[in-house]
Amino acid sequence: MQKELIFENKIEQIPRLEAFVEELSSELNLSFAFATSLNLALEEAVVNVIEYAYPKTEENDFSLSVMTVDESGELRFVLKDHGVPFNPLAVEEPDITLSAESRPVGGLGIMLVRKIMDSVEYKYESKENILIMTKKIN
Amino acid sequence: METIIKEDNGCTIVSFVGRLDTTSAPTTEKELKPLMDLTGAQVVIDCSRLTYISSSGLRIFITLQKHFMKTGGQMTVKSLLPEIKAIFDLTGFSNILMIM
Repeated sequence: MQKELIFENKIEQIPRLEAFVEELSSELNLSFAFATSLNLALEEAVVNVIEYAYPKTEENDFSLSVMTVDESGELRFVLKDHGVPFNPLAVEEPDITLSAESRPVGGLGIMLVRKIMDSVEYKYESKENILIMTKKIN
Repeated sequence: METIIKEDNGCTIVSFVGRLDTTSAPTTEKELKPLMDLTGAQVVIDCSRLTYISSSGLRIFITLQKHFMKTGGQMTVKSLLPEIKAIFDLTGFSNILMIM
């Protein structure tokens, strides 16, 4: 199985992920819990591109594709944009052991991607940011 | 996404209905503005119909929590679905919020 979504760099595009994950869920018979966490990790990765890859005033697009790897029983997602080079994995993770008073309000997005996916890899190739995320279907 | 705010016996009850994602969070945040004027308030967030949350939604929870701690109030998060509770666990939010 292989699918691809093309996004415009607008936050209003985010709800499309829900339909995308629903489609995956019914085809692969994923549980609601699995689909919810998948939706979350993909949303955070996609929002990251929308927020940082391109100037807000410019219209651009980027792609998210998914394929199933039969041998390993995993899903492999590839997020590609041609915006400014940015490695989200280089961002320092927030300290989630801090108290409510001292915890910063943001910074959770990429941490969620890392925690939910089994592996996350970044590369910059042919002027493209490429984020490869895998998750074993359980 | 819908946000319902009700008063019940001196307690403010906020019900989230639907998906609190990056697209809906800014509107939800605006709808919650009146709560940021309360001091010493007892607030219950009813999450029984909250079916999805992303980091922008989590940000709303921590902002409210910080406000009520600072102003001598108390906020309780009630009836989280297990799938949403799992996200609160993953981010350490289960340790800093009062979850019932």
